[in-house]
Amino acid sequence: MAPKKDPKAPAKKAEPAPAPAPAPEPAPAPAAAPAIDLSAVKVEFSPDQVEDYREAFGLFDRVGDNKVAYNQIADIMRALGQNPTNKEVNKLLGNPSADDMASKRVEFEMFLPMLQTIINSPNKAGFEDYVEGLRVFDKEGNGTVMGAELRIVLSTLGEKMTEAEIDALMAGQEDENGCVNYEGESSINKEQFKKQELTLLGPFLTKYVTFYCKLL
Amino acid sequence: MSRPTGGSVNDIARFLSSGGGPGSPTSSSSVFSAASQADWAAKRLVWVPSEKHGFESASIREERGDEVDVVLTDCQVKVTLSREEVQRMNPPRFSKVEDMADLTCLNEASVLHNLRERYYSGLIYTYSGLFCVVVNPYKNLPIYTESIVEMYRGKKRHEMPPHIYAISEAAYRSMLQDREDQSILCTGESGAGKTENTKKVIQYLAHVASSHKSGSLGRNKEAGELERQLLQANPILEAFGNAKTVKNDNSSRFGKFIRINFDVAGYIVGANIETYLLEKSRAIRQAKDERTFHIFYQLLCGATEETRADLLLGNADQYRFLTGGSIPVPGQSDSENFTQTMDSMAIMGFTAEESLSMLKVISAVLQFGNISFTKEKNHDQASMPDNTAAQKLCHLLGINVLEFTRAILTPRIKVGREYVQKAQTKEQADFAIEALAKATYERLFRWLVHRINRALDRRQRQGASFIGILDIAGFEIFQLNSFEQLCINYTNEKLQQLFNHTMFILEQEEYQREGIDWNFIDFGLDLQPCIDLIERPTHPPGVLALLDEECWFPRATDRTFVEKLSAEQGNHPKFFKSKQPRGEADFSIIHYAGKVDYKANDWLVKNMDPLNDNVASLLHQSSDHFVSELWKEVDRIVGLDQVSSGESSGPVAFGAAGLKTKKGMFRTVGQLYKESLTKLMATLRNTNPNFLRCIIPNHEKRAGKLAPHLVLDQLRCNGVLEGIRICRQGFPNRIPFQEFRQRYEILTPNAIPRTFMDGKQASELMISALELDHNLFRVGQSKVFFRAGVLAHLEEERDLKITDTIIRFQSAARGFLARKAFFKKQQQLSALRVMQRNCHAYLKLRNWQWWRLFTKVKPLLQVTRQDEEIQVREAELQKAKDKLTRLILKLFLDLKTRALEEEKNGLMEKLEEDEERAKEMSRQIQTLSQQVKQKSRRD
Repeated sequence: MAPKKDPKAPAKKAEPAPAPAPAPEPAPAPAAAPAIDLSAVKVEFSPDQVEDYREAFGLFDRVGDNKVAYNQIADIMRALGQNPTNKEVNKLLGNPSADDMASKRVEFEMFLPMLQTIINSPNKAGFEDYVEGLRVFDKEGNGTVMGAELRIVLSTLGEKMTEAEIDALMAGQEDENGCVNYEGESSINKEQFKKQELTLLGPFLTKYVTFYCKLL
Repeated sequence: MSRPTGGSVNDIARFLSSGGGPGSPTSSSSVFSAASQADWAAKRLVWVPSEKHGFESASIREERGDEVDVVLTDCQVKVTLSREEVQRMNPPRFSKVEDMADLTCLNEASVLHNLRERYYSGLIYTYSGLFCVVVNPYKNLPIYTESIVEMYRGKKRHEMPPHIYAISEAAYRSMLQDREDQSILCTGESGAGKTENTKKVIQYLAHVASSHKSGSLGRNKEAGELERQLLQANPILEAFGNAKTVKNDNSSRFGKFIRINFDVAGYIVGANIETYLLEKSRAIRQAKDERTFHIFYQLLCGATEETRADLLLGNADQYRFLTGGSIPVPGQSDSENFTQTMDSMAIMGFTAEESLSMLKVISAVLQFGNISFTKEKNHDQASMPDNTAAQKLCHLLGINVLEFTRAILTPRIKVGREYVQKAQTKEQADFAIEALAKATYERLFRWLVHRINRALDRRQRQGASFIGILDIAGFEIFQLNSFEQLCINYTNEKLQQLFNHTMFILEQEEYQREGIDWNFIDFGLDLQPCIDLIERPTHPPGVLALLDEECWFPRATDRTFVEKLSAEQGNHPKFFKSKQPRGEADFSIIHYAGKVDYKANDWLVKNMDPLNDNVASLLHQSSDHFVSELWKEVDRIVGLDQVSSGESSGPVAFGAAGLKTKKGMFRTVGQLYKESLTKLMATLRNTNPNFLRCIIPNHEKRAGKLAPHLVLDQLRCNGVLEGIRICRQGFPNRIPFQEFRQRYEILTPNAIPRTFMDGKQASELMISALELDHNLFRVGQSKVFFRAGVLAHLEEERDLKITDTIIRFQSAARGFLARKAFFKKQQQLSALRVMQRNCHAYLKLRNWQWWRLFTKVKPLLQVTRQDEEIQVREAELQKAKDKLTRLILKLFLDLKTRALEEEKNGLMEKLEEDEERAKEMSRQIQTLSQQVKQKSRRD
């Protein structure tokens, strides 16, 4: 089969997304407010980007009303190259109840300012903190962490992940000693990266690191 | 102890914590208002000893030197007591405290009070410093459901109310974190709940460490089977090894050590069970109101008619070995349990033949008991007038009944260097039958354990570490105690020594090694003297060694053994020879749990465990494969020739002549046991032990009743108080510098300079940055030591600190997963588009005339091509035909040439013959013409 142009799209989309971040942006609604005034957010995507986003958005519409459920918002943003926390997304949606998450829906025009807010949001955690964080689990200090411990941590702390999520994440990542390598391929270049992002956790982590570098 | 029942999590949580929700005692203290606090302070409440309640609350009226006047709270009676008898009461905010190490006033009264208060509220688990105490609730509590397991998963000890799951989780976690093998030791009296708690540990681990996740990747169905089998191992073992006793309806009559192996990722990869000291005598005789092993009754009640006929089964009261006939257990159905046992065996992978063979042996063990002998009138010989039972037995075991009868009544015995047939007395024959029945059952049990181990041992994945769970009978003190009690008490002595050793000795030794300011506290708990008394091989030999020695000694009896023992060990501080006349205890040993009186009757027999080797070898050669498998090792048993015939009193006496060489050829029960115990201890010593102290609240199997003196005795025996004390005074948590820095550096971001710094210095800098009270820690040579609770606090802060990082990491991980899913979605979309394009194209073309013509014509094109094909083929055929004719022609010509040539040869030969003849003729002509010439000359 011959996919025309679509498969390359996500990588392409992923890239421009973080780019506007460094631009000095009028800070979105103050963090203290329970709900964010999305109408005040200035959306500054190019028409091409908007088209790509619309297409991705459409993929998540299971009903056909050109809207998506609240509980899919986070995944769309992630698909478009963002890494929002659940808390951030919930705040954007005005901290809805679990029922609302499943039943309420958002249209594309509402989604864009949300995405923009996430892109604009200043990330407090820096590169140092991040590496420091992983090193906390790196007992031998050799750039690897125990898969078993990582599993426990991911499922018990922070925004707890389900076992299914963790299994999907760790699939094929542990070596015969049960370790996950997180530093091994940090020298990998950008091109290799795009190709491998979907297959290796190592580069995924590295990408995560570079992502932070960009933000700094 | 419990069966999962319904009910919401909130309901259940009530059973776990004391109203105030999980957490420190202070959180629940709000219930105990300021009023009760004031009450406590004003009345100066204390505990005073009480006959009925163990301790009673009272308030101090007056203190005079060493004497104190108190008024009992309940009855307002005024009593004067010495100061030592009065124990201080804790402030009310410590009511039902979860960890008794937190108590301000630590004394027996407070510990008992706390346990009792918690027990009455259904809170059966309580921490006491480094270990956990559990009181048998004698009822089902809804605290063992899967949702509770989930609640404990990944939690730290202090985050949740005390529970066996918390202990299991801690062991599992430290196994993964420190990569150190773990053991969980459940100890306590019979009926205290050891076995139930062991099962809960396995349930927890099987749930948490199962590699079988619903619908997850790579891991197949077969992996979940291992966990299922692991859970089924216990019901099977219980059916064959548990029995109803006076104290306990489901008492384990054997000890076991279950080793669960894990791989590096923390998944269960296999398990192994080792058993100790099966009480096999229960198979032939039971005390009043007690039962033999469950399986006997299960089989008799639950077997189908067909099986009953196959196994020649009768009713429970038709068997002599079932002393009490059929005794039902309240709330249990033997026939239902039989089905369950059979199901468990099926899950374990037992074949139908294996199960049936086992049941057959069970039936045979019962049948052994129905063989009866009578004494012959004129002499001592035994005879068997009715051999119905023997026939049944031999049928079940696949041996010849005549040979069996001969082997029992007149076995061949080696005397000196010859074999002779020796008639047996009735006593000897009876003894032999019982010994055989016991041995058969024991071998069956061993086979069962072996078979289970085979099912649980999966060597596909490498085991990296293990958690061992020990469930072994607690101290037994009866009026008079025998060899079995000695073995059990000896085991407990060793376990307690291990406990003391880790808790007190090693602990303090480590303080000294690390150079920490510490006054060595002697808790007076070194049990080595008592252990030496039992196990020491020589100088002077201990009880077991002397017993062995006596077994090889000619004419030795139980009496001579006692005499020897008193001679050798008479002055041992833990040994006590009663001055009373015979009939009472022969000697006493002062165990840590108390003085135990032993009666040495039959010790020699019990230690040697002799068996009729004639029958044993018959069984070895049985036509039944299973039976001969059970009896495949018969060379190491103590046979009849080691047991001389009854010259002296009793069914058997010892000391046949010429036995000196026999020593060491086979093993005594004591030797074997000591060996397996030593092995177990070696294993345990290499693990990080987690102790669970099980406490029996009363001897009536009643829920909600706690007999104070009974519990107090157990607390004293178990070293619970001492354990708490050292936990409070000492520094129970320690952590090497390197690990401390690695783990907690995150709490002190700028304390350590980036340049290299040695561990101690770095740790000291970190500690000063943490601003800890000096009393809370000590810095040793290689480790930092903390008082109880400090490390837990640091750990909490660390979790808080890393949560932020973890959330970032998790969102990145979620992003990764979402993109992966999105990529797949997109690929599916483009695949869909390709299909759509093709469909679209087809729809357009469908009605276009030329296309239709083309589709019509296309098959025809095939036809013209077929003609061509035929032509080619025909040409080929023609060619082949030509070739064939040419070949035939050639053949024909060849044949013709050959015929002509033969003709030519024939002619040539003829020609040659003619020429010869011509030559001959010409020669004759010549001779004749000469003769003619000569004649004419003469003429």
